[in-house]
Amino acid sequence: MAINQPPCAGPAQDRPSDCSVQPASADPKANPLKTTRRDFLRSGGMLSLSSLMGTAALMTQSDNANAATEWAEHFQKNYRLMTPEEKNEARLRLERRYSDEYGKKVAVDTTDAQPGMLMGYALNIRKCIGCRRCVHACVAENNQSRGKRPGEKIEWIQVLRMERGKFEQEKMNHGYPEGLGIQVGGNAYTPAGQVLEGQYHYNPKAVPEQDATYMPIACMQCEKPPCVKVCPVRTTYREGDGPVVIDYNWCIGCRMCMGACPYWARRINVTTPVLPKEEMNPVTHYLGNRPRMRGVVEKCHWCLQRSRHNRYPACVEVCPVGARKFGNLLDPESEVSKILQRKNVFRLKAELNTFPKFFYFYD
Amino acid sequence: MQQLTRFAADYVGYVLKGGTKFYAWMGVLGLFIVGMLYVFYLQNTDGLIVTGMTSQIHDGLYFANLVFLVGVAAGAVTIVFPAYAYHHEGMHKVAVLGEMLAITAVIMVMMFVFAHMGRPDRLWHMIPIIGIYNFPHSMLGWDVLVLNGYLVLNFICGFYYLWVKYTGGEINKKWFIPLVWVAIVWALSIHTVTAFLISTMPARPMWFHSMMPIRFITTAFAAGPALIILIFMIVRNNTKFWVDDSAIKLLTTIVTWCLGLAIFLTMSEIVVELYARTEHANGLYYLMFGLHGLTKLVPWFWSSVVLMIGAFILFLIPRFRNDFKLLPIPCVMAFAGIWIEKGMGLIVPGFIPTPIGEVAEYYPSFVEVMMTLGIWSFGFFILTILFKGAIGILQGEIKYGGPVAAAK
Amino acid sequence: MRKLATVSLILALCGGAYYAVSAAEKTAEPPKEAAAKAPVDCFESRKGASEVTQREIKPGWPNVKCSPTTGAALWYGDPFDGTVPMGKMPQMDIPEGLAVVKPRSEKLALMPICGVSCHNGVGPKFTPPVLPKDKKPAPVPTMAAMVPDLANLQHGRGRIWCMDCHHTTQRNKLVDHWGDPISFDQPQLLCGKCHGDKLRDWRDGIHGKRIGEFVSTGKKRWFTCTECHNPHNVQDGARNRGFVQLQPEPSPQLPRGMANADHEKLHPIPH
Repeated sequence: MAINQPPCAGPAQDRPSDCSVQPASADPKANPLKTTRRDFLRSGGMLSLSSLMGTAALMTQSDNANAATEWAEHFQKNYRLMTPEEKNEARLRLERRYSDEYGKKVAVDTTDAQPGMLMGYALNIRKCIGCRRCVHACVAENNQSRGKRPGEKIEWIQVLRMERGKFEQEKMNHGYPEGLGIQVGGNAYTPAGQVLEGQYHYNPKAVPEQDATYMPIACMQCEKPPCVKVCPVRTTYREGDGPVVIDYNWCIGCRMCMGACPYWARRINVTTPVLPKEEMNPVTHYLGNRPRMRGVVEKCHWCLQRSRHNRYPACVEVCPVGARKFGNLLDPESEVSKILQRKNVFRLKAELNTFPKFFYFYD
Repeated sequence: MQQLTRFAADYVGYVLKGGTKFYAWMGVLGLFIVGMLYVFYLQNTDGLIVTGMTSQIHDGLYFANLVFLVGVAAGAVTIVFPAYAYHHEGMHKVAVLGEMLAITAVIMVMMFVFAHMGRPDRLWHMIPIIGIYNFPHSMLGWDVLVLNGYLVLNFICGFYYLWVKYTGGEINKKWFIPLVWVAIVWALSIHTVTAFLISTMPARPMWFHSMMPIRFITTAFAAGPALIILIFMIVRNNTKFWVDDSAIKLLTTIVTWCLGLAIFLTMSEIVVELYARTEHANGLYYLMFGLHGLTKLVPWFWSSVVLMIGAFILFLIPRFRNDFKLLPIPCVMAFAGIWIEKGMGLIVPGFIPTPIGEVAEYYPSFVEVMMTLGIWSFGFFILTILFKGAIGILQGEIKYGGPVAAAK
Repeated sequence: MRKLATVSLILALCGGAYYAVSAAEKTAEPPKEAAAKAPVDCFESRKGASEVTQREIKPGWPNVKCSPTTGAALWYGDPFDGTVPMGKMPQMDIPEGLAVVKPRSEKLALMPICGVSCHNGVGPKFTPPVLPKDKKPAPVPTMAAMVPDLANLQHGRGRIWCMDCHHTTQRNKLVDHWGDPISFDQPQLLCGKCHGDKLRDWRDGIHGKRIGEFVSTGKKRWFTCTECHNPHNVQDGARNRGFVQLQPEPSPQLPRGMANADHEKLHPIPH
């Protein structure tokens, strides 16, 4: 199979029908709720919505397809509550708008989670050299804002540089006199392996540096994500195959999820994203890397537009040292399952019971 | 029905009339409101980039004011509670003013919510049925519920009372008194839930402790009545309405002891956090002494400490407590101190450092300052109107039947 | 960039008034793409091991995106660009075509010559081959000039020499335990002779790198040992690490209001 043209990622018209597989919901409770809400919306709510859409179309009073599209986008439902037809409508609408905006054929994929798949990630922190190629691969793939003004440049992966620290005879008196802490002693406060007191803006001539280790941090795709719980409009949720996603069209920009995330994985689009046409990635997913709008939150989704078609996420593919591993946790033959069987792994901030599906390991 | 239209007409007619001082005051507020509308436009065309908020520190001045004003709204209960629970004469006379203040504060809170949102045009997504309301999981959902409930309760209680005064009827105690009690308990709930909003996030260790709600309540019951005392002073000096000394004295007592409790709780927090000085204390450490050499909030913290402790000491000195000329000094100090402590001092350092240890600093932009001033002006605008109308009715200057009835 | 903002206010919905402000930003037309661009080459895992030349597979879809800062490959449009089947691996039954590698034989410029001109396996000394017992190669100036790494071989701490890895008579091949030749495209067969634990992890996808389809039944391009490690300087000199140093990609943008990131170097509590 030609990977650069996955069956469902191509332009809309030549997409085979098997792309619209029903989702495997992660939460068994979600299904009954879904149906009742959907029915309810269909019977009552849709009436007001469609009338609003009509009003909106009248208000724009122009045949500008883009303006009409945007109006329709304003009144569409939460992605999870859309019927397959509505999803298709929303997809076509977006494809039209994006293709027009970026001057190329843009595909918006709506492939659902496949049964039997639970994505997992593992990262070998002994191997990571802190080169930040993953950070920039992520930007190339996921259509983040690349502006110059502060806040206009968004990166989803942060690479933490931690000091190895040094214990020395000369520092035996360090730590005295003591300010407000308690225990003190020789070499007190040597920052060896101090996770949260490192650097993110390091910029040496060459990495890895002698006196440092590196730890990339991005969304952990928690099994019990605190960000999902706090969202007042349920625009962010965990998909059946693992990743926590956002319906960008439903997000109200309240930023509660950003406060709740213990891994600082979420970013707010403080302004309309700056995305040059030639750099725009035209293969997108509705819940993944499609261009976002002003005022909404975004985050890593393990390259849903790729991983739903079995392709490795972009960060995995560019890691020059092969520290990044990705696979199906339900498949004992997958790379990640093998790592869990064989290596020592840990989850970042495991004490918070978020149960990340992102594992750090070392060999 | 006819009575109702007359009520509205009389109310509006009375409120619109005023002296030069009144129009000048409203005009100045109006200017700020226009400024607010302009920056709101900027913020919703350019986006939040015109504010000081970033992905690192994504709640700032707006959220701080929101939290503080919820406290002011809740603080109104310090009038209503003594009035109805202890049948305090002086308080009973002004209880309706407390309700008007609560209405104003809640409206201001809602405006700060609007200002805070990245996409205010999509707030309808929260409305049940046409949107999705993540209830009971989302704490913000709870907050919206209790705030709207509190607004409705105070609106009903306040305006029903005024209506009865206007028509000269009798209060229907069968439902009014239970409703007042509901409103009293509800007042506690709004601030508790707002505290839960930030204290239920283990990602932010600075906020993640169960002391947060009681700290919120004590600061609210200090800052709220402090503001009320100031407003009562203004009312006494500028209108024909006389607020009893006993009411102001009781409020002073409430402010004093709630302020004392608030200081005590702050001290407890400092001891607990800094004794062990874990990484979780980094936020508080940043606030008190700065972190990694960044110290933008340190002066704010210490000025709030000085203001709060200074106010507490002044409140304890009988000369200040009893002299109504000097009383506004500690009141202003307490109000300002708590505004700093709960605003800049509580919200911003919660984000410093980020959960993964990045340290950045926050300072509000012009847009944020203008918006905040505008919303406060709008608040005072409504408050002036509500108080003027309420006082007019309480004084009997607006009455069903026109001036003839009023003169009786 | 020029912005055109459309602002619309709608009032009155569901009993309450609320604003809806939408701003559509239109980006200006970009300058016409330069008609002829110099070909962009970028290195993959390590510099000098393998390069890709950027080209368009389909409109707006390059095979690879390169870092303007470091020249490293940053993004793969086609992970199987320029690959060949990996060939048989012992103990592994990967269906034909699912495992591919990037051929290195073509890349090594001297390869075709090595086998025919100097090390052609012909001559009195080579039938049968006579090799020095002390495993010290006789210095050949031409050889030393062509492959400078050889002067101080940083592999095996002086316990191995050329012929432990390279085939005695077929110099464009590597050698296995039986003295049979191994293709330069399959260095894992050679390296695994000593580094068995690494070979095991590599086979399972734990060590090293693969790109393409992540599912265990998918098609993958395997990165072989020498694409990441330089076998002649595997310790990287005094660093004694398996991977050479690289220039890092640019650091993240400073948050608003921060002039520099010097504060990061200061620790919260002095030490």
